[in-house]
Amino acid sequence: MSETSARDAFWRGVRELLPAGPGVFAWGLVTGVAMVKSGLTVAQATGLSLLAYAGSAQLAALPLIAGAAPVWVVAFTALIANLRFLVYAAYTRSSFTHLSAARRTVLGYLVGDVMFVRYVALLTNHPDYPQRVPYYVGGAIANWIIWQVASLLGIFGANVIPTDWGLELAGTLALVALVVPLCAKRPALAGVAVSSAVAVLAHGLPLRLGLLLAVFAGMGTALAVESRSAA
Amino acid sequence: MTEAEIWLSFVLITLATVATRSGLLLAGRRFVIPPRVESALRYAPACALAAIIAPDLLLSAGQVQLSVVNPRLAAGVAGATIFLFSRSTIGTIIGGMGAFWLVRVLFPG
Repeated sequence: MSETSARDAFWRGVRELLPAGPGVFAWGLVTGVAMVKSGLTVAQATGLSLLAYAGSAQLAALPLIAGAAPVWVVAFTALIANLRFLVYAAYTRSSFTHLSAARRTVLGYLVGDVMFVRYVALLTNHPDYPQRVPYYVGGAIANWIIWQVASLLGIFGANVIPTDWGLELAGTLALVALVVPLCAKRPALAGVAVSSAVAVLAHGLPLRLGLLLAVFAGMGTALAVESRSAA
Repeated sequence: MTEAEIWLSFVLITLATVATRSGLLLAGRRFVIPPRVESALRYAPACALAAIIAPDLLLSAGQVQLSVVNPRLAAGVAGATIFLFSRSTIGTIIGGMGAFWLVRVLFPG
């Protein structure tokens, strides 16, 4: 067992999140701008950003709110857009079982796509890493701060930030930088290929269900390739 | 929507978020995830990222654009290549945006 302190692990979590910071920032900015452009007031957009902290669910809900859809339809859409977090929670839960229910709720709430990628990478490379909760918290807080600051900048600057120069592409490119190193081994590469194809083909499905379908198809493929090469 | 309905929908969006993110963490120990599923979960980040990235780079107005003159695809390919050689996220973003603009200027419309 290494002598990593909780404080060291926390800061390692922060540090390893930062390289992807520009991408988190771009997505936050895009979400902030989109909320105001869809018709929310600055106060409403700020409230939604701070309450939900869920970029994809917020973006999915915006056209429904603007179109005055029934409230339950908005809620259901947000639920579906968030379903990938069930998969993330299934991964993290074994590390959190010793914590109180309140702490587990907060840790779950603070999950984000980018910090989750870093967290899985840590545990894949160091399966016995002793200070995983502080590491998770460090990444989660860094992710939260960067995203909220960017989102607020987007909200308050919505009318001066130009949106036609491909700002959201910068966010996607940061995700490219995250996914490339994950494709080093064959099962993951196969999973990424299948997930990409399914996501494109199933893009027309409502409620962003294509995303969920793609993740499951990709994970199944990766597992199949893994057990074939192990046999 | 009225102001009250808007805030009600924000609260419901938040509840939907907490339910999906924290619900499984609160499920009792009786809820056991099979080992095979557990090992598949290690691939969740790569697959989720791919599922977010691919439609963004390949689709244009709902149509698949598998062409070098698709500026977003060019940006993705350039960005991934730059990352493989430099391991730099900033380099990936700057290089990818450069490719995006280059293709847009060279092949307008």
